Formats: sequence, C-alpha cells, structure tokens
Amino acid sequence: MNKTIIININSIVFHIEEDAYETLRGYMIDIKRHFSQSADSGEILLDIENRIAEMFSERIQSGRKEVINKDDVSEVIAQMGRVSDFEEASEEEEIGQQSFHQQQTSSGEEHKPFQTGKKLMRDPEDTTIGGVCSGLGHYFGVQPKWMRAFFILFVLIGGSGVLLYIVLWAVMPVASTRADRMAMRGEAPNLQNFKKNFEEEMEGIRENFSGANAQFSRGLRSIGTGFGEIFKFIGKALAACMLVFTGATIFGLFFFFVACTLAIMGYQEEIYFPPLEVLEAGQAFFALLAGTFAIALPFIALFYIFLRILFKIRPMNNYLSMGMWATWIVSIIVVIFYCVIGAQDFREDSIIKVDRPLKVQPVYSFSEKDVRVIEASSSADGKTRYNIQVDGESLHNLLRSDIEIRFESLDSLEKPFIQYHYKAKGKSYQLAAERASKINYQAEQVDSKVIFNSHFALGADDLYRGQSVNVVAYLPVGTKVGIDRSLEGKIREIAYHNCYDNYPEELKIKQTEWIMTKSGLICAIPEKVEVEKKEEEDATTSE
Amino acid sequence: MIAENTQTQMRKGILEYCILSIISKGEIYASDIIGELKKAELLVVEGTLYPLLTRLKNNGLLSYSWKESTSGPPRKYYQITIEGTEVLEKLDITWKELVYAVETSLFGRK
Repeated sequence: MNKTIIININSIVFHIEEDAYETLRGYMIDIKRHFSQSADSGEILLDIENRIAEMFSERIQSGRKEVINKDDVSEVIAQMGRVSDFEEASEEEEIGQQSFHQQQTSSGEEHKPFQTGKKLMRDPEDTTIGGVCSGLGHYFGVQPKWMRAFFILFVLIGGSGVLLYIVLWAVMPVASTRADRMAMRGEAPNLQNFKKNFEEEMEGIRENFSGANAQFSRGLRSIGTGFGEIFKFIGKALAACMLVFTGATIFGLFFFFVACTLAIMGYQEEIYFPPLEVLEAGQAFFALLAGTFAIALPFIALFYIFLRILFKIRPMNNYLSMGMWATWIVSIIVVIFYCVIGAQDFREDSIIKVDRPLKVQPVYSFSEKDVRVIEASSSADGKTRYNIQVDGESLHNLLRSDIEIRFESLDSLEKPFIQYHYKAKGKSYQLAAERASKINYQAEQVDSKVIFNSHFALGADDLYRGQSVNVVAYLPVGTKVGIDRSLEGKIREIAYHNCYDNYPEELKIKQTEWIMTKSGLICAIPEKVEVEKKEEEDATTSE
Repeated sequence: MIAENTQTQMRKGILEYCILSIISKGEIYASDIIGELKKAELLVVEGTLYPLLTRLKNNGLLSYSWKESTSGPPRKYYQITIEGTEVLEKLDITWKELVYAVETSLFGRK
C-alpha cells in the first residue's frame, strides 16, 4: 500500500506516489534553477512541464495503471535529461547557473569563473555574539574557535578587533535560510545536499537528546550559551555606549555646522574656527559643508551599525548606502580641493622693510598697549572678531598678534630708529607684497616712552594670509632701555625672564632695565643686586 | 578537456542546423524532432531541445501552433518561417563550404 499525492501539471491531474513526487519535485527545482537566468525561462519550463504531462498520460492506462510511480518518473527524467546533460550540450546563453559539480571540474576557460563556491555570511546556528567568527570560519575553512581566538587577540591588542567585528557584523548578511547556510558552507544548493544537510541536522538533534553522555553534552552546551550570553551582554553594552558617543558626535557636528554657517554669514561672531578664516565666505560655506559631511558620514554609518546591533533594524537600503559612500568621497574631494585653494594663497612670501626714526633719548621705556581694552576680558587667545576701538575708530577687523620685537646695537653716535618688517603671503609675489603693504602697524613715541600696540588689524575684507610684523629696534650703544612686562611675549632673542628673576623679591616691578652694548641688550641688574643701586636707577628712569 | 570542448562546440553549431532542416520538411511536434535527432544519433535528451526551439522561435526563424492531441494536453507544432528558410539556405551554403573544407583538409590523411 502506498500513499499517493494528486498533482496538477498544466491543468491535467495525476495521481503520483509520494516518493515519486519527491523525486519529480527535486528534478523540477533543479530545472527551474538551471533556466532561472534565461530570459525565456517561463516558456521553456512550460514546454518541459507540458511534455512531462504528456509522457505521464502516455503511461497511464485507465483501469490498469492509474498512478505514476517512481519508475515512471525516472524514465521520464531519463528521457528529458538531467540538468547536467543540458549543460554539456546547451548554448552558453541558456546556462543560468552552473552546478557545483561543474565548477569543480571545469577549467578556467568555462564561463562564469568568478562565481565562488562559498558565501561570506554570519552563521546563526553557531554564534557567540553575532556569528561573525563562525561565518568567517566557514568561509576560510577554519574552525570557528580559531577565528574567535584571533578576534580576542585583536581585541586585546588595542581593541581594534571590536571595531573590525562590528564592521563585519554589519556587512555580513545572516544565513537565515537553509539554502543560505549551504551556500555559506560551499555546498551546492541541490536536492541531494538539502537532504544531506537536513539529515545532518536531525542527526545532531538526535545525538543531543539520546545516548549516555547526553546529560554531559547538554551541560557543556549550557555553559557555552552562558558565555555566549555574557559576550552578548558585553557586546550590547559596548554598542550602547558607542551609540551614545556617535550620536553625541553627530549632534555636536550638526551644531558646529550651524554655528559656523551663521558665523560665515555674519550673524554670529563668537565662533572662531581657523581653517575657515583662510577662505572667502562663499568658499568657506562649501568647505564647511564638505568637511562636516566628510566627518559626519562615517559617524552616521557607525551610529546606524550600533542601532542595528542593539535593535532589530533592516540593513541599509543599497541605494542609500551607495549614496552615502558617494557623498562621502565627494566631500573628501571638495575638502582637499579647498585645502589646495587655501594653500595656494600661501605660496609666495613678501617682506616690506620700513625704517622709522626714534627721537633721541638717553633712556627708552618700551611698553605695550592692549588694543582690545574694551573686550579683552572675554578673549584670551588674542585674535577674535569683536567690534573694537582701534585708534579711536570702530573697526570690524580681524586682529592679529603675530608681532615680534628684537633689539640691535648701533654705534653710539648714530641715531636710533625702528625697522619694521611687514610680512604676508599670497598666490603671487605681487599679491603678497600688496597684502604686506596693507599692514598698518607702528610704535608710538611719547618722549622716552615707546608704545607698541598689542595687535595689528587686517582690513575688513582681508583674509589671513600669514600677515606678521617683525620689529627691530636699532639703538646706540649705551642707551638704557626699560622693557615693560607686557611686552615679554613679543620680545625675541633676549632672555627677558632671566633678567626679571635677577630682581629681589621685594622689588619685582613692571619694568626691567637693560643696557645696549656692542653685543646687544644686557640686563642692567647683575645676578646679585644691591638695593641702593637699584633705587638709583629707578630715579633716573622716572626723570 | 580540450577535445571535449571542441566536440561540444561542433555539436552545438550542427544541432541548430539540423533542427531547422528537420522542421523545414513540414510541421512537426517537439518530441518527433527528438525522434528524428535520435535517428541521426545527434541528441540524447529532450530538455536540451526546448530552450533551443524557444530561441529560434524568438529570433523569428520558427513559429508554432497549438494542436489537440489524442493523448494528453494540446501540443505545440513547429513550422519554419520565411526568414527561417532564408537562414537555412545560407546555412546550406556554409555547410557545403565546411564539408569541402573539412574533406580537403582531411584528404590524404592516414
């Protein structure tokens, strides 16, 4: 007695034995897969089904034989030919998918050599965290435990394994169906292998639940899953931290972008971001946009990955991810482009030297005047875009403090003067020189006092192009010089601080005294100081 | 391997020519084509034939019509089109050339 199944091929009903049905079904699946890539697959399959139906009806004799059995199916299949027979004789364009068997035996001259036997997928049946290691193990033909050891090693060495794992997790699809898992192991997805795969699974289950050591193996398994749970938990906790971190970064970048955009448009002046100062407003916006994208996109991608790890979210749409890649690459190119543009404007150097005489005085007192008096308290770095008073005018300028002061000696009979070196950079020498000539900076002399401004201002429309001022004060030998402490930051080539240290504690004053000698300025106070002498000198300076 | 490959290529070319020739003799059913081909000891299985017929039909060399059958479902009967006849004539010339070429090449070989 046999169980029969009723099937319908092209509107004709057949009774078929169960085992015969299984064989026929497997055969049809093979054929469908074989022709799946062909444009005419529907028609071809219909022809084949038609023919099979016809052959079946030829075999049925009413009253004597009404059921198709396994032998009938085998005969029909033999007449129709197996998929492997088609491949030998059929045209190239008709071959949709090559069987595993042929891939192994065929040499390189066969078509489709790029199709590899295995697919890189995560194995959901063998997971510690996400099945990445077992998937890699299948792919490289290594036991998953070695891949795990490898990853743990990389986690220990600087933690790079964590990142790698996360990236792979996001990239590798999970082998959710049986066919996927077989592709992952490199088995051909045909009926025999399906059967084998299923049987193996059943075997595994049976082994687990029977036999003398079932208890033991179950115990072992629960320990394994225990570790798995711990790893899973650690992984999730880590992912949650990273999610918050990347989220905050994206948030911060967004606000930075908005603030910088406002600053470029001139609405808000509190933001100072050096790279943007180099560019003109229009360029700066695009550079800012590209720069923000270049930094934000990887963070957005990471954010998404962590979201995926923590919550069950579908992988990103292909178009979206491709779009993100493209945007990222374009942003980087734009950033590089603006870097080059900006850098070009720094190519040529120009220095303009101007000598300005000093009124002859036996003693000079050098000091600094902070031009930011009004707003100075809120800005420590010395360059900012406040509306400030410079020489009595209200100027909306960029202040620069790249000022250096040096001292040189002259013959005692020569007249003192100050030499200014105005420096600037530009795309061409001419532009650089033009910029240098625009720098308006000079000391003010009131009797013996020589006052230097703390900053010089760029023109309202000028960009920063390495503008700086070097000041060289040429003084006759024997001139006494008092240097205010406020100038300490601008003074070069003499050890201001050492001289300051020479003063006894009770005489720490705002000014240090120096004398010009042939070899340059020397601290007027020797290392051991007599208080009386100090007082004498004080008297002379105050005169 | 190389021999197998060449054999396959040779058979592929001839198969199409033979099928066209068989159909040009008159309306014929697919499984009868198989019969003819088997008589000619060219084709082994039916499965190979259907894709070929479909392609020739799509190229306009063949057409078919449905005919009722005494046993089972209606059958597709194939016949050659005018285009098909033209192609066949060209193939005839090529075949004669090939036969000449092969015979000439083989002449005198032991």
